[in-house]
Amino acid sequence: MASSEPLLAEPAAGPSRLRVVLDRATGPLFALAFFAAWEAVVRLFEVPLYIAPPPSAVLFQLWRNLPRIAEYTLVTGGETLGGFLSAVILGVPLALAVAFSPFLRRTFYPAAVTLEMVPKIAFAPLFVTWFGFGYLPKLVIVFLVCFFPILLNGILAFGSLPPELHRLCRSTGAGPWRTFRWVRLPAAAPQLFVGVKGAAVNATVGATIAEWIGGDAGLGYYIQIATGDLRMDLAFAIILVLAALGLALFGLVVLVERLLIPWHVSQRRSSPGGGWG
Amino acid sequence: MSVAVAVEGALKVYPGPPAPVHALGPLDLAIAPGSFVALLGPSGCGKSTLLSMIAGLEPPSRGRIAIDGRPVAGPQTAIGIVFQSPVLVDWRDVLGNVLLQADLRGLDRRALEPRARALLRSVGLEGFLHRRPWELSGGMQQRAAFCRALVHDPPLVLMDEPLGALDAMTREQLRADLERLWMRTGKTVILVTHSIEEAVQLSDRVIVISPRPGRIVRDLPVELPRPRTLEVCESPPFHALVAEIKRIFQGYGLL
Ligand SMILES: Nc1ncnc2c1ncn2[C@@H]1O[C@H](COP(=O)(O)OP(=O)(O)OP(=O)(O)O)[C@@H](O)[C@H]1O
Ligand SMILES: [Mg+2]
Repeated sequence: MASSEPLLAEPAAGPSRLRVVLDRATGPLFALAFFAAWEAVVRLFEVPLYIAPPPSAVLFQLWRNLPRIAEYTLVTGGETLGGFLSAVILGVPLALAVAFSPFLRRTFYPAAVTLEMVPKIAFAPLFVTWFGFGYLPKLVIVFLVCFFPILLNGILAFGSLPPELHRLCRSTGAGPWRTFRWVRLPAAAPQLFVGVKGAAVNATVGATIAEWIGGDAGLGYYIQIATGDLRMDLAFAIILVLAALGLALFGLVVLVERLLIPWHVSQRRSSPGGGWG
Repeated sequence: MSVAVAVEGALKVYPGPPAPVHALGPLDLAIAPGSFVALLGPSGCGKSTLLSMIAGLEPPSRGRIAIDGRPVAGPQTAIGIVFQSPVLVDWRDVLGNVLLQADLRGLDRRALEPRARALLRSVGLEGFLHRRPWELSGGMQQRAAFCRALVHDPPLVLMDEPLGALDAMTREQLRADLERLWMRTGKTVILVTHSIEEAVQLSDRVIVISPRPGRIVRDLPVELPRPRTLEVCESPPFHALVAEIKRIFQGYGLL
């Protein structure tokens, strides 16, 4: 080895510009190819519309029914967001309470688990008779499908402070509030987000099904109308919007997570999986 | 002579289930203010338990413990604690981790910051104040943990195998850091360790504890000059002390 070699060599050049662009484009290109193939197959074999509509027809329906779809997106979006947020607002403190109260662990927790075992859809007709066809029964269903993942992960999150960190807190004389604020809450945040993300995934599904069973507005209701008329192109257009709605909510949660816990292993840029990767 | 830590007839039995475990004691110990005392004993003899009892984190089953003449009843706050692992939190940088001590105590963070910076500088971490724990080596993390245990200027510092998880070379370096910090601050230090050399190198007094249930079997003063440089650690008196302690453990069939 030549002794004149610089100790700190230039870092190896990263992947080329073209490579980066290609990597980025892989996903969209794949999707484009998939839909193009779909379109081709459906046209080539003249598949009837009610079995599989071509993507072009779906887009056309989306465009033609845009006012109605937009209106119903607001309805479904409102139910989704309302139920989801109320589940977060109630679920996190309740998880904290269950984690620290043996009484609640023996009473509330088993009740919540039992309730979770029941398919929530079974409640939908009941909620219709209780709350009517409006906003409230949907919100309750969305709340129910969002609540449990938040509760379960929240209990885990608040209940697993490393014992040494707990001893450190005790040796400072910090009371429950200071311990919570400076240690317990940030330590729990990553696991809390696991629950909140699970809830975000469930939320639109809950809203759609609730509207399906007893609604007079919203995308779930609209799908039911469309499929009833065998207008599969419209149904697929609505499904597309529902997927976008779900992705938007999930993306929002991921964004908040990135802002609130940039320090967590899962959020670090450099080492995916925390080393070795 | 005044006493910083007094342990009188302390005994600990963990009630189980499955069965009660007599962890240690009865045990008497008086530690002078400003001294560096090592608790040395085999695994499971109750060293951590004794430290927890002194910290007020675990009540003794029998007997009494007092710090500066005041009986220990409940968690003590005028102490600093160092564990085997650094226990730094990922949501704060190195300086923030040291100042966690201030936040948990409800003290003004800014008032303690100069001291935190000075301590971090004294262990060579001035260039890493705003790095996160995962960006530091294990030895650097443990140095930060030392600073966190000292930043509120406690008169008593309890350390439970603070160098136990480090590699041999880092351990040597941190021993020197530890001695330097102690010589400068003049605190009472109780150090739990498995290592005979470490106990002799660092302390004024080595308390040798028997296998479980732990009892004090020897109380050895270490009258070697400080700082304990390489020459001191290679001197015949150093080796004589190490050999003497080894013979005690040999007597228990441990070596
Ligand atoms: N929380 C606990 N509940 C029940 N038994 C315990 C508990 N903590 C410690 N013990 C028991 O008490 C004995 C002493 O434990 P301790 O942790 O104090 O030993 P140690 O000397 O620190 O050991 P090591 O050097 O391995 O850390 C052990 O036999 C252990 O099984
Ligand atoms: Mg121990």
